[in-house]
Amino acid sequence: MTTALRAGSGLTRPARSRRRKPFPWFKYLTIAPLAIFFVAFIAFPVGQLVWMAFGDVRMRAGELTWDFSGFDNFARMLRDNVFATAIGNSLVFIVSTVVLTLVLGVVLALATDRLVRTQQLVQNILIWPAVMAPVVISVVWLLILSPQIGLLNRILASIGLPAQTWLGDRFGAMASIILVDVWHWTPIVFLFVYTALRGLDSSVIEAASVDGASWWQTTRHVVLPLLAPAIMGAAAIRIIMGVKAFDEMYLLTFGGPGTATTVISIHLRNVFFESFEYGYGAALAVTVVLLVMVVLVLAFVFQALLRRASRG
Amino acid sequence: MARRARRSRGSWIVAIVLIGAIAVTIVPLLWLMLVTLQRPRAIITPGWTFEFSLDNLASVFAPNAVYGTQVLNSVILVIAATALCLIISALAGYSLSQMAWSRRTVIFILTLAGLLQVIPPMTLVPGLFATLTTYGLGGLPALILLNTVFNLPFAVIMTKFYFDSLPSELRESASIDGASEFGIFRRIMLPLAAPGIAAVAIFTAIQVWNEFLFGLVFTTGGTESPITVGIATLIQPQEIKWGGMAAVGTVTAIPIILLAVVANRQIVAGLTRGAVKG
Repeated sequence: MTTALRAGSGLTRPARSRRRKPFPWFKYLTIAPLAIFFVAFIAFPVGQLVWMAFGDVRMRAGELTWDFSGFDNFARMLRDNVFATAIGNSLVFIVSTVVLTLVLGVVLALATDRLVRTQQLVQNILIWPAVMAPVVISVVWLLILSPQIGLLNRILASIGLPAQTWLGDRFGAMASIILVDVWHWTPIVFLFVYTALRGLDSSVIEAASVDGASWWQTTRHVVLPLLAPAIMGAAAIRIIMGVKAFDEMYLLTFGGPGTATTVISIHLRNVFFESFEYGYGAALAVTVVLLVMVVLVLAFVFQALLRRASRG
Repeated sequence: MARRARRSRGSWIVAIVLIGAIAVTIVPLLWLMLVTLQRPRAIITPGWTFEFSLDNLASVFAPNAVYGTQVLNSVILVIAATALCLIISALAGYSLSQMAWSRRTVIFILTLAGLLQVIPPMTLVPGLFATLTTYGLGGLPALILLNTVFNLPFAVIMTKFYFDSLPSELRESASIDGASEFGIFRRIMLPLAAPGIAAVAIFTAIQVWNEFLFGLVFTTGGTESPITVGIATLIQPQEIKWGGMAAVGTVTAIPIILLAVVANRQIVAGLTRGAVKG
Protein backbone atom coordinates (compact mmCIF):
# COMPACT_ATOMS: atom_id res chain seq x y z
CA MET A 1 0.00 0.00 0.00
CA THR A 2 2.87 2.34 0.74
CA THR A 3 4.06 2.17 -2.86
CA ALA A 4 0.94 4.07 -3.82
CA LEU A 5 1.99 6.93 -1.61
CA ARG A 6 3.62 10.02 -2.86
CA ALA A 7 5.28 12.21 -0.33
CA GLY A 8 3.95 15.35 -1.83
CA SER A 9 1.98 18.49 -1.49
CA GLY A 10 4.39 20.19 0.91
CA LEU A 11 1.23 21.47 2.50
CA THR A 12 1.96 19.91 5.83
CA ARG A 13 5.72 20.19 5.69
CA PRO A 14 6.76 23.65 6.65
CA ALA A 15 10.44 24.35 7.23
CA ARG A 16 10.06 23.55 10.89
CA SER A 17 9.11 19.94 10.26
CA ARG A 18 12.33 18.67 11.86
CA ARG A 19 11.14 19.92 15.25
CA ARG A 20 9.43 17.25 17.26
CA LYS A 21 6.01 18.86 17.24
CA PRO A 22 5.40 20.99 14.18
CA PHE A 23 2.34 23.20 14.10
CA PRO A 24 -0.51 20.91 12.94
CA TRP A 25 -1.41 22.85 9.81
CA PHE A 26 -3.40 20.04 8.33
CA LYS A 27 -5.62 19.73 11.37
CA TYR A 28 -6.70 23.37 11.10
CA LEU A 29 -6.78 23.57 7.30
CA THR A 30 -9.19 20.64 7.05
CA ILE A 31 -11.69 22.18 9.44
CA ALA A 32 -11.35 25.70 8.02
CA PRO A 33 -13.85 25.43 5.13
CA LEU A 34 -16.53 24.15 7.47
CA ALA A 35 -15.79 26.90 9.97
CA ILE A 36 -15.88 29.58 7.26
CA PHE A 37 -19.23 28.35 5.89
CA PHE A 38 -20.78 28.13 9.34
CA VAL A 39 -19.62 31.59 10.32
CA ALA A 40 -20.61 33.21 7.01
CA PHE A 41 -23.98 31.50 6.52
CA ILE A 42 -25.11 30.52 10.01
CA ALA A 43 -23.49 32.62 12.73
CA PHE A 44 -23.63 35.88 10.78
CA PRO A 45 -27.28 35.42 9.67
CA VAL A 46 -28.31 34.41 13.18
CA GLY A 47 -26.61 37.55 14.47
CA GLN A 48 -28.48 39.64 11.91
CA LEU A 49 -31.71 37.87 12.82
CA VAL A 50 -31.35 38.81 16.48
CA TRP A 51 -30.31 42.36 15.54
CA MET A 52 -33.35 42.75 13.27
CA ALA A 53 -35.64 41.43 16.00
CA PHE A 54 -34.79 44.45 18.15
CA GLY A 55 -35.33 47.01 15.43
CA ASP A 56 -37.75 48.66 13.08
CA VAL A 57 -36.37 47.30 9.81
CA ARG A 58 -37.41 48.64 6.42
CA MET A 59 -36.31 48.18 2.85
CA ARG A 60 -35.41 51.50 1.22
CA ALA A 61 -33.99 51.51 -2.29
CA GLY A 62 -32.62 48.00 -1.98
CA GLU A 63 -30.95 48.71 1.37
CA LEU A 64 -32.19 47.51 4.73
CA THR A 65 -32.48 50.31 7.29
CA TRP A 66 -32.66 49.68 11.02
CA ASP A 67 -33.89 51.82 13.91
CA PHE A 68 -33.69 50.54 17.45
CA SER A 69 -37.11 49.64 18.81
CA GLY A 70 -36.32 47.61 21.92
CA PHE A 71 -38.83 44.90 22.68
CA ASP A 72 -41.61 46.41 20.53
CA ASN A 73 -41.52 43.50 18.09
CA PHE A 74 -41.81 40.97 20.89
CA ALA A 75 -44.62 42.89 22.60
CA ARG A 76 -46.51 42.86 19.32
CA MET A 77 -46.46 39.09 19.26
CA LEU A 78 -48.82 39.01 22.24
CA ARG A 79 -51.41 40.93 20.21
CA ASP A 80 -50.93 38.83 17.08
CA ASN A 81 -53.93 36.50 16.95
CA VAL A 82 -52.70 34.79 13.79
CA PHE A 83 -49.49 33.74 15.57
CA ALA A 84 -51.57 32.10 18.31
CA THR A 85 -53.69 30.41 15.63
CA ALA A 86 -50.55 29.27 13.83
CA ILE A 87 -49.15 27.67 16.98
CA GLY A 88 -52.50 25.95 17.55
CA ASN A 89 -52.60 24.71 13.96
CA SER A 90 -49.02 23.47 14.18
CA LEU A 91 -49.85 21.56 17.36
CA VAL A 92 -52.90 19.90 15.75
CA PHE A 93 -50.83 19.08 12.67
CA ILE A 94 -47.83 17.73 14.60
CA VAL A 95 -49.81 15.59 17.04
CA SER A 96 -52.01 14.01 14.33
CA THR A 97 -49.23 13.36 11.83
CA VAL A 98 -46.79 12.00 14.44
CA VAL A 99 -49.34 9.60 15.93
CA LEU A 100 -50.63 8.41 12.54
CA THR A 101 -47.21 7.92 10.94
CA LEU A 102 -45.95 6.07 14.03
CA VAL A 103 -48.87 3.65 14.11
CA LEU A 104 -48.82 3.00 10.36
CA GLY A 105 -45.03 2.82 10.20
CA VAL A 106 -44.84 0.24 12.99
CA VAL A 107 -47.65 -1.84 11.45
CA LEU A 108 -45.93 -1.83 8.04
CA ALA A 109 -42.56 -2.72 9.56
CA LEU A 110 -44.02 -5.66 11.51
CA ALA A 111 -45.89 -6.85 8.41
CA THR A 112 -42.88 -6.56 6.09
CA ASP A 113 -40.73 -8.41 8.60
CA ARG A 114 -43.12 -11.38 8.35
CA LEU A 115 -42.62 -11.72 4.59
CA VAL A 116 -40.53 -14.59 3.37
CA ARG A 117 -39.12 -13.73 -0.04
CA THR A 118 -40.31 -10.28 -1.11
CA GLN A 119 -38.98 -8.19 1.78
CA GLN A 120 -36.43 -6.26 -0.28
CA LEU A 121 -38.92 -5.43 -3.03
CA VAL A 122 -41.61 -4.27 -0.60
CA GLN A 123 -39.14 -2.14 1.35
CA ASN A 124 -37.88 -0.61 -1.88
CA ILE A 125 -41.35 0.47 -3.05
CA LEU A 126 -42.63 1.60 0.34
CA ILE A 127 -39.90 4.24 0.74
CA TRP A 128 -40.59 6.02 -2.56
CA PRO A 129 -42.69 8.82 -1.07
CA ALA A 130 -39.91 9.71 1.38
CA VAL A 131 -37.41 10.52 -1.38
CA MET A 132 -39.79 12.56 -3.53
CA ALA A 133 -39.81 16.35 -3.54
CA PRO A 134 -42.55 17.89 -1.37
CA VAL A 135 -43.40 19.99 -4.41
CA VAL A 136 -44.05 16.90 -6.51
CA ILE A 137 -46.07 15.34 -3.71
CA SER A 138 -48.21 18.48 -3.61
CA VAL A 139 -48.80 18.14 -7.36
CA VAL A 140 -49.72 14.47 -6.96
CA TRP A 141 -52.26 15.25 -4.26
CA LEU A 142 -53.71 18.29 -6.02
CA LEU A 143 -54.49 15.95 -8.90
CA ILE A 144 -56.25 13.64 -6.44
CA LEU A 145 -58.01 16.17 -4.19
CA SER A 146 -59.11 18.74 -6.77
CA PRO A 147 -62.92 19.06 -6.62
CA GLN A 148 -63.18 19.45 -10.43
CA ILE A 149 -60.64 17.04 -11.91
CA GLY A 150 -59.42 15.01 -8.93
CA LEU A 151 -59.24 11.24 -8.69
CA LEU A 152 -61.16 11.06 -5.41
CA ASN A 153 -64.22 12.91 -6.67
CA ARG A 154 -64.19 10.83 -9.86
CA ILE A 155 -64.28 7.70 -7.72
CA LEU A 156 -67.08 9.17 -5.57
CA ALA A 157 -69.05 10.05 -8.72
CA SER A 158 -68.58 6.54 -10.11
CA ILE A 159 -70.09 4.93 -7.04
CA GLY A 160 -72.85 7.53 -6.88
CA LEU A 161 -71.67 9.63 -3.93
CA PRO A 162 -71.74 13.46 -3.94
CA ALA A 163 -68.53 15.39 -4.72
CA GLN A 164 -66.54 16.81 -1.81
CA THR A 165 -64.58 20.08 -1.68
CA TRP A 166 -61.63 18.47 0.21
CA LEU A 167 -59.16 21.39 0.42
CA GLY A 168 -61.97 23.93 0.21
CA ASP A 169 -63.33 23.94 3.77
CA ARG A 170 -61.56 24.48 7.08
CA PHE A 171 -61.83 20.94 8.38
CA GLY A 172 -61.19 19.29 5.01
CA ALA A 173 -58.08 21.41 4.40
CA MET A 174 -56.44 20.45 7.69
CA ALA A 175 -57.45 16.80 7.26
CA SER A 176 -56.04 16.84 3.72
CA ILE A 177 -52.62 18.23 4.61
CA ILE A 178 -52.43 15.74 7.48
CA LEU A 179 -53.26 12.94 5.02
CA VAL A 180 -50.61 14.15 2.57
CA ASP A 181 -47.98 14.42 5.30
CA VAL A 182 -48.82 10.91 6.54
CA TRP A 183 -48.48 9.57 2.99
CA HIS A 184 -45.17 11.39 2.59
CA TRP A 185 -43.49 10.43 5.88
CA THR A 186 -44.88 7.09 7.06
CA PRO A 187 -42.00 5.51 5.06
CA ILE A 188 -39.45 7.17 7.36
CA VAL A 189 -41.00 5.62 10.46
CA PHE A 190 -41.39 2.32 8.62
CA LEU A 191 -37.73 2.32 7.66
CA PHE A 192 -36.55 3.25 11.15
CA VAL A 193 -38.58 0.54 12.86
CA TYR A 194 -37.90 -2.01 10.13
CA THR A 195 -34.13 -1.47 10.36
CA ALA A 196 -34.29 -1.84 14.13
CA LEU A 197 -36.45 -4.94 13.79
CA ARG A 198 -33.94 -6.60 11.46
CA GLY A 199 -31.22 -5.82 13.98
CA LEU A 200 -32.97 -7.53 16.89
CA ASP A 201 -31.48 -10.66 18.35
CA SER A 202 -33.74 -13.35 16.90
CA SER A 203 -32.89 -15.87 19.62
CA VAL A 204 -34.90 -13.87 22.18
CA ILE A 205 -37.93 -13.93 19.92
CA GLU A 206 -37.51 -17.60 19.11
CA ALA A 207 -37.27 -18.40 22.82
CA ALA A 208 -40.62 -16.70 23.34
CA SER A 209 -42.31 -18.60 20.54
CA VAL A 210 -40.83 -21.91 21.69
CA ASP A 211 -42.44 -21.18 25.05
CA GLY A 212 -45.76 -21.25 23.19
CA ALA A 213 -46.40 -17.52 22.92
CA SER A 214 -48.54 -16.48 19.95
CA TRP A 215 -47.23 -14.01 17.34
CA TRP A 216 -49.26 -11.23 18.92
CA GLN A 217 -48.06 -12.08 22.45
CA THR A 218 -44.44 -12.17 21.31
CA THR A 219 -44.85 -8.87 19.49
CA ARG A 220 -46.68 -7.15 22.30
CA HIS A 221 -44.46 -8.29 25.18
CA VAL A 222 -41.07 -8.90 23.59
CA VAL A 223 -40.65 -7.17 20.23
CA LEU A 224 -42.36 -3.81 20.84
CA PRO A 225 -40.51 -3.15 24.12
CA LEU A 226 -37.24 -3.92 22.33
CA LEU A 227 -38.22 -1.53 19.55
CA ALA A 228 -39.13 1.29 21.96
CA PRO A 229 -35.86 3.23 21.45
CA ALA A 230 -36.27 3.15 17.66
CA ILE A 231 -39.91 4.24 17.92
CA MET A 232 -38.97 7.07 20.31
CA GLY A 233 -36.24 8.16 17.91
CA ALA A 234 -38.67 8.14 15.01
CA ALA A 235 -41.15 10.14 17.09
CA ALA A 236 -38.53 12.79 17.87
CA ILE A 237 -37.61 13.11 14.21
CA ARG A 238 -41.23 13.34 13.13
CA ILE A 239 -41.93 16.09 15.69
CA ILE A 240 -38.99 18.12 14.37
CA MET A 241 -40.21 17.60 10.80
CA GLY A 242 -43.65 18.76 11.87
CA VAL A 243 -42.26 22.03 13.23
CA LYS A 244 -40.37 22.58 9.97
CA ALA A 245 -43.36 21.77 7.72
CA PHE A 246 -43.89 24.38 5.04
CA ASP A 247 -43.89 23.21 1.42
CA GLU A 248 -47.14 21.24 1.28
CA MET A 249 -49.22 23.85 3.10
CA TYR A 250 -47.77 26.58 0.95
CA LEU A 251 -48.66 24.74 -2.26
CA LEU A 252 -51.88 22.92 -1.37
CA THR A 253 -53.74 25.43 0.78
CA PHE A 254 -51.56 28.56 1.07
CA GLY A 255 -52.43 28.46 4.77
CA GLY A 256 -56.14 28.72 4.03
CA PRO A 257 -59.05 28.72 3.80
CA GLY A 258 -58.74 31.79 6.01
CA THR A 259 -56.11 30.76 8.54
CA ALA A 260 -57.27 27.13 8.86
CA THR A 261 -53.90 25.64 7.85
CA THR A 262 -51.61 28.58 8.65
CA VAL A 263 -48.83 26.79 10.54
CA ILE A 264 -45.80 28.51 12.07
CA SER A 265 -43.61 28.51 8.95
CA ILE A 266 -46.46 29.83 6.76
CA HIS A 267 -47.15 32.67 9.18
CA LEU A 268 -43.45 33.58 9.29
CA ARG A 269 -43.33 33.69 5.51
CA ASN A 270 -46.44 35.87 5.29
CA VAL A 271 -45.16 38.36 7.85
CA PHE A 272 -41.83 38.59 6.07
CA PHE A 273 -42.75 38.41 2.38
CA GLU A 274 -46.38 39.60 2.26
CA SER A 275 -46.44 42.32 4.93
CA PHE A 276 -42.68 43.08 4.65
CA GLU A 277 -42.48 43.38 8.44
CA TYR A 278 -38.81 42.40 8.63
CA GLY A 279 -38.27 43.29 12.29
CA TYR A 280 -41.42 41.59 13.46
CA GLY A 281 -40.72 38.53 11.30
CA ALA A 282 -37.26 38.26 12.85
CA ALA A 283 -38.73 38.52 16.36
CA LEU A 284 -41.17 35.72 15.52
CA ALA A 285 -38.33 33.60 14.15
CA VAL A 286 -36.21 34.14 17.28
CA THR A 287 -39.18 33.18 19.44
CA VAL A 288 -39.83 29.99 17.45
CA VAL A 289 -36.17 28.97 17.68
CA LEU A 290 -36.21 29.60 21.44
CA LEU A 291 -39.42 27.56 21.77
CA VAL A 292 -37.82 24.66 19.89
CA MET A 293 -34.76 24.87 22.18
CA VAL A 294 -36.93 24.86 25.32
CA VAL A 295 -38.84 21.80 24.09
CA LEU A 296 -35.54 20.06 23.27
CA VAL A 297 -34.07 20.77 26.69
CA LEU A 298 -37.29 19.59 28.36
CA ALA A 299 -37.20 16.40 26.27
CA PHE A 300 -33.60 15.71 27.33
CA VAL A 301 -34.39 16.35 30.99
CA PHE A 302 -37.47 14.14 30.74
CA GLN A 303 -35.43 11.37 29.13
CA ALA A 304 -32.74 11.60 31.80
CA LEU A 305 -35.37 11.46 34.55
CA LEU A 306 -36.99 8.43 32.92
CA ARG A 307 -33.67 6.66 32.68
CA ARG A 308 -32.91 7.39 36.32
CA ALA A 309 -36.37 6.21 37.38
CA SER A 310 -36.07 2.97 35.41
CA ARG A 311 -32.71 2.28 37.04
CA GLY A 312 -34.57 2.50 40.34
CA MET B 1 -34.17 -16.97 10.12
CA ALA B 2 -36.58 -19.44 11.59
CA ARG B 3 -39.18 -17.00 12.82
CA ARG B 4 -39.63 -15.57 9.34
CA ALA B 5 -39.93 -18.95 7.69
CA ARG B 6 -42.69 -19.97 10.07
CA ARG B 7 -45.98 -19.41 8.29
CA SER B 8 -49.18 -19.05 10.22
CA ARG B 9 -52.80 -18.11 9.82
CA GLY B 10 -51.84 -14.43 10.07
CA SER B 11 -50.02 -14.41 6.76
CA TRP B 12 -53.06 -13.37 4.70
CA ILE B 13 -53.54 -10.33 6.97
CA VAL B 14 -49.92 -9.42 6.30
CA ALA B 15 -50.52 -9.79 2.58
CA ILE B 16 -53.62 -7.57 2.66
CA VAL B 17 -51.88 -4.86 4.72
CA LEU B 18 -48.85 -4.76 2.45
CA ILE B 19 -50.72 -4.97 -0.84
CA GLY B 20 -52.90 -2.12 0.43
CA ALA B 21 -49.84 -0.07 1.42
CA ILE B 22 -48.15 -0.65 -1.93
CA ALA B 23 -51.35 0.29 -3.78
CA VAL B 24 -51.68 3.49 -1.72
CA THR B 25 -48.05 4.28 -2.55
CA ILE B 26 -48.22 3.58 -6.25
CA VAL B 27 -51.73 4.60 -7.36
CA PRO B 28 -51.18 8.35 -6.74
CA LEU B 29 -47.96 8.18 -8.77
CA LEU B 30 -49.65 6.28 -11.60
CA TRP B 31 -52.41 8.89 -11.63
CA LEU B 32 -49.76 11.62 -11.93
CA MET B 33 -48.27 9.90 -14.96
CA LEU B 34 -51.70 9.19 -16.45
CA VAL B 35 -52.66 12.88 -16.24
CA THR B 36 -49.29 13.78 -17.77
CA LEU B 37 -50.02 11.59 -20.80
CA GLN B 38 -53.68 12.63 -21.02
CA ARG B 39 -54.98 14.96 -23.75
CA PRO B 40 -55.47 18.36 -22.03
CA ARG B 41 -59.17 18.43 -22.95
CA ALA B 42 -59.72 15.00 -21.41
CA ILE B 43 -58.14 16.08 -18.11
CA ILE B 44 -61.03 18.41 -17.36
CA THR B 45 -63.73 16.02 -18.58
CA PRO B 46 -65.48 14.08 -15.82
CA GLY B 47 -65.50 10.30 -16.03
CA TRP B 48 -62.77 7.89 -17.04
CA THR B 49 -61.85 8.63 -20.66
CA PHE B 50 -58.17 8.34 -21.51
CA GLU B 51 -56.77 9.86 -24.69
CA PHE B 52 -53.04 9.44 -25.07
CA SER B 53 -51.11 12.56 -26.05
CA LEU B 54 -47.72 14.13 -25.44
CA ASP B 55 -49.18 17.67 -25.57
CA ASN B 56 -48.54 18.37 -21.87
CA LEU B 57 -44.89 17.38 -22.04
CA ALA B 58 -44.45 19.21 -25.35
CA SER B 59 -46.01 22.45 -24.06
CA VAL B 60 -43.89 22.43 -20.92
CA PHE B 61 -40.62 21.83 -22.72
CA ALA B 62 -41.28 24.03 -25.73
CA PRO B 63 -38.28 26.24 -26.58
CA ASN B 64 -39.96 29.39 -25.26
CA ALA B 65 -40.94 27.84 -21.90
CA VAL B 66 -38.69 28.34 -18.88
CA TYR B 67 -38.96 24.81 -17.49
CA GLY B 68 -36.13 23.35 -19.58
CA THR B 69 -33.83 26.05 -18.22
CA GLN B 70 -35.07 25.37 -14.71
CA VAL B 71 -34.35 21.65 -14.97
CA LEU B 72 -30.85 22.62 -16.10
CA ASN B 73 -30.58 25.00 -13.13
CA SER B 74 -31.58 22.18 -10.80
CA VAL B 75 -28.94 19.89 -12.32
CA ILE B 76 -26.25 22.57 -11.91
CA LEU B 77 -27.44 23.24 -8.37
CA VAL B 78 -27.31 19.55 -7.45
CA ILE B 79 -23.85 19.01 -8.91
CA ALA B 80 -22.30 22.17 -7.45
CA ALA B 81 -23.88 21.96 -3.99
CA THR B 82 -23.24 18.23 -3.62
CA ALA B 83 -19.62 18.59 -4.72
CA LEU B 84 -18.97 21.50 -2.36
CA CYS B 85 -20.72 19.69 0.46
CA LEU B 86 -18.70 16.51 -0.08
CA ILE B 87 -15.35 18.31 -0.22
CA ILE B 88 -16.00 20.31 2.92
CA SER B 89 -17.50 17.43 4.87
CA ALA B 90 -14.81 14.93 3.84
CA LEU B 91 -12.11 17.32 5.07
CA ALA B 92 -13.96 18.26 8.24
CA GLY B 93 -15.17 14.74 9.01
CA TYR B 94 -11.62 13.43 8.61
CA SER B 95 -10.25 16.22 10.75
CA LEU B 96 -12.75 15.65 13.56
CA SER B 97 -12.24 11.90 13.44
CA GLN B 98 -8.46 11.57 13.01
CA MET B 99 -6.67 14.81 13.87
CA ALA B 100 -6.65 14.64 17.67
CA TRP B 101 -9.09 17.44 18.36
CA SER B 102 -10.06 17.73 21.98
CA ARG B 103 -13.23 15.90 22.95
CA ARG B 104 -14.82 19.20 23.87
CA THR B 105 -14.23 20.71 20.41
CA VAL B 106 -15.64 17.65 18.65
CA ILE B 107 -18.76 17.63 20.83
CA PHE B 108 -19.20 21.37 20.32
CA ILE B 109 -19.08 21.10 16.53
CA LEU B 110 -21.31 18.03 16.41
CA THR B 111 -23.85 19.67 18.73
CA LEU B 112 -23.85 22.78 16.56
CA ALA B 113 -24.40 20.62 13.49
CA GLY B 114 -27.17 18.69 15.25
CA LEU B 115 -28.89 21.90 16.34
CA LEU B 116 -28.87 23.22 12.81
CA GLN B 117 -30.86 20.17 11.73
CA VAL B 118 -33.49 20.87 14.35
CA ILE B 119 -34.14 24.55 13.65
CA PRO B 120 -36.88 25.20 11.07
CA PRO B 121 -35.15 26.68 7.99
CA MET B 122 -37.91 29.28 7.69
CA THR B 123 -36.81 30.90 10.96
CA LEU B 124 -33.36 31.57 9.48
CA VAL B 125 -34.76 33.10 6.29
CA PRO B 126 -35.01 36.68 7.65
CA GLY B 127 -31.38 36.58 8.78
CA LEU B 128 -30.23 34.90 5.55
CA PHE B 129 -32.16 37.48 3.54
CA ALA B 130 -30.31 40.30 5.30
CA THR B 131 -26.99 38.47 4.99
CA LEU B 132 -27.35 37.80 1.27
CA THR B 133 -28.28 41.47 0.78
CA THR B 134 -25.10 42.42 2.67
CA TYR B 135 -22.91 40.09 0.59
CA GLY B 136 -24.68 41.15 -2.64
CA LEU B 137 -25.44 37.50 -3.44
CA GLY B 138 -28.51 36.22 -5.24
CA GLY B 139 -29.87 33.74 -7.74
CA LEU B 140 -28.23 30.39 -8.43
CA PRO B 141 -24.87 31.12 -6.69
CA ALA B 142 -26.72 32.00 -3.49
CA LEU B 143 -28.79 28.83 -3.73
CA ILE B 144 -25.67 26.71 -4.26
CA LEU B 145 -24.09 28.13 -1.12
CA LEU B 146 -27.25 27.84 1.01
CA ASN B 147 -27.93 24.26 -0.08
CA THR B 148 -24.32 23.43 0.73
CA VAL B 149 -24.52 24.94 4.19
CA PHE B 150 -27.79 23.31 5.18
CA ASN B 151 -26.68 19.86 4.05
CA LEU B 152 -23.29 20.15 5.76
CA PRO B 153 -24.40 19.16 9.28
CA PHE B 154 -25.67 15.76 8.16
CA ALA B 155 -22.75 15.22 5.79
CA VAL B 156 -20.13 16.12 8.40
CA ILE B 157 -21.71 13.92 11.08
CA MET B 158 -22.04 10.94 8.72
CA THR B 159 -18.51 11.32 7.33
CA LYS B 160 -17.00 11.74 10.78
CA PHE B 161 -18.59 8.53 12.01
CA TYR B 162 -17.54 6.71 8.88
CA PHE B 163 -13.91 7.75 9.37
CA ASP B 164 -14.23 6.68 13.02
CA SER B 165 -14.97 3.16 11.85
CA LEU B 166 -11.66 2.91 9.94
CA PRO B 167 -8.67 1.45 11.78
CA SER B 168 -6.33 4.23 12.88
CA GLU B 169 -3.25 1.98 12.59
CA LEU B 170 -3.38 2.55 8.84
CA ARG B 171 -2.76 6.23 9.33
CA GLU B 172 0.05 5.62 11.78
CA SER B 173 1.90 3.11 9.63
CA ALA B 174 1.59 5.33 6.58
CA SER B 175 3.00 8.30 8.46
CA ILE B 176 5.93 6.16 9.65
CA ASP B 177 6.54 5.36 5.99
CA GLY B 178 6.94 9.07 5.43
CA ALA B 179 3.67 9.96 3.76
CA SER B 180 2.49 13.53 4.19
CA GLU B 181 -0.73 14.26 6.07
CA PHE B 182 -2.47 15.22 2.85
CA GLY B 183 -1.09 12.14 1.10
CA ILE B 184 -2.49 9.87 3.83
CA PHE B 185 -5.86 11.56 3.59
CA ARG B 186 -6.03 11.60 -0.19
CA ARG B 187 -4.51 8.19 -1.02
CA ILE B 188 -5.39 5.95 1.91
CA MET B 189 -8.21 7.20 4.09
CA LEU B 190 -10.43 8.83 1.47
CA PRO B 191 -10.65 5.72 -0.77
CA LEU B 192 -11.48 3.61 2.28
CA ALA B 193 -14.29 6.00 3.19
CA ALA B 194 -15.73 5.91 -0.33
CA PRO B 195 -18.85 3.83 0.53
CA GLY B 196 -19.80 6.23 3.32
CA ILE B 197 -19.15 9.25 1.14
CA ALA B 198 -21.23 7.72 -1.67
CA ALA B 199 -24.20 7.39 0.68
CA VAL B 200 -23.76 11.02 1.74
CA ALA B 201 -23.50 12.09 -1.90
CA ILE B 202 -26.70 10.36 -2.99
CA PHE B 203 -28.62 11.58 0.00
CA THR B 204 -27.37 15.16 -0.38
CA ALA B 205 -28.14 15.18 -4.10
CA ILE B 206 -31.74 14.12 -3.42
CA GLN B 207 -32.13 16.79 -0.75
CA VAL B 208 -30.83 19.51 -3.07
CA TRP B 209 -32.93 18.36 -6.02
CA ASN B 210 -36.04 18.42 -3.79
CA GLU B 211 -35.29 21.71 -2.03
CA PHE B 212 -38.05 24.30 -2.37
CA LEU B 213 -38.05 26.90 0.41
CA PHE B 214 -34.76 28.67 -0.37
CA GLY B 215 -35.47 28.51 -4.08
CA LEU B 216 -38.82 30.12 -3.47
CA VAL B 217 -37.66 32.99 -1.30
CA PHE B 218 -34.28 33.72 -2.91
CA THR B 219 -35.14 33.55 -6.61
CA THR B 220 -37.88 35.23 -8.60
CA GLY B 221 -39.40 32.17 -10.26
CA GLY B 222 -38.04 32.77 -13.77
CA THR B 223 -34.99 31.49 -15.64
CA GLU B 224 -32.78 31.55 -12.53
CA SER B 225 -35.02 29.28 -10.43
CA PRO B 226 -34.74 25.53 -9.86
CA ILE B 227 -37.51 23.30 -11.23
CA THR B 228 -39.22 22.89 -7.84
CA VAL B 229 -39.99 26.61 -7.89
CA GLY B 230 -41.06 26.27 -11.52
CA ILE B 231 -43.73 23.77 -10.50
CA ALA B 232 -44.99 26.17 -7.86
CA THR B 233 -45.52 28.88 -10.48
CA LEU B 234 -47.87 26.46 -12.27
CA ILE B 235 -50.00 26.14 -9.14
CA GLN B 236 -51.79 29.46 -9.06
CA PRO B 237 -54.89 29.77 -6.87
CA GLN B 238 -56.86 31.37 -9.73
CA GLU B 239 -55.91 29.00 -12.48
CA ILE B 240 -54.04 25.72 -12.18
CA LYS B 241 -52.50 24.45 -15.42
CA TRP B 242 -53.23 20.80 -14.69
CA GLY B 243 -51.49 19.18 -17.63
CA GLY B 244 -48.35 21.28 -17.43
CA MET B 245 -48.17 20.85 -13.68
CA ALA B 246 -48.45 17.08 -13.96
CA ALA B 247 -45.83 16.98 -16.72
CA VAL B 248 -43.25 18.97 -14.74
CA GLY B 249 -44.11 16.91 -11.65
CA THR B 250 -43.46 13.67 -13.51
CA VAL B 251 -40.17 14.92 -14.92
CA THR B 252 -39.05 15.98 -11.44
CA ALA B 253 -40.15 12.73 -9.79
CA ILE B 254 -38.82 10.14 -12.21
CA PRO B 255 -35.05 10.61 -11.71
CA ILE B 256 -35.49 10.38 -7.95
CA ILE B 257 -37.64 7.25 -8.06
CA LEU B 258 -35.14 5.60 -10.41
CA LEU B 259 -32.39 6.52 -7.96
CA ALA B 260 -34.45 5.08 -5.10
CA VAL B 261 -34.68 1.78 -6.97
CA VAL B 262 -31.02 1.63 -8.01
CA ALA B 263 -29.27 3.08 -4.96
CA ASN B 264 -31.65 1.75 -2.36
CA ARG B 265 -28.97 0.72 0.12
CA GLN B 266 -27.29 4.15 0.23
CA ILE B 267 -30.63 5.91 0.48
CA VAL B 268 -31.75 3.73 3.35
CA ALA B 269 -28.49 4.49 5.16
CA GLY B 270 -29.02 8.19 4.57
CA LEU B 271 -32.67 8.20 5.56
CA THR B 272 -32.27 6.25 8.77
CA ARG B 273 -29.35 8.36 9.93
CA GLY B 274 -30.24 11.69 8.45
CA ALA B 275 -33.99 11.80 8.65
CA VAL B 276 -33.89 14.90 10.82
CA LYS B 277 -33.67 16.84 7.62
CA GLY B 278 -36.57 16.87 5.24
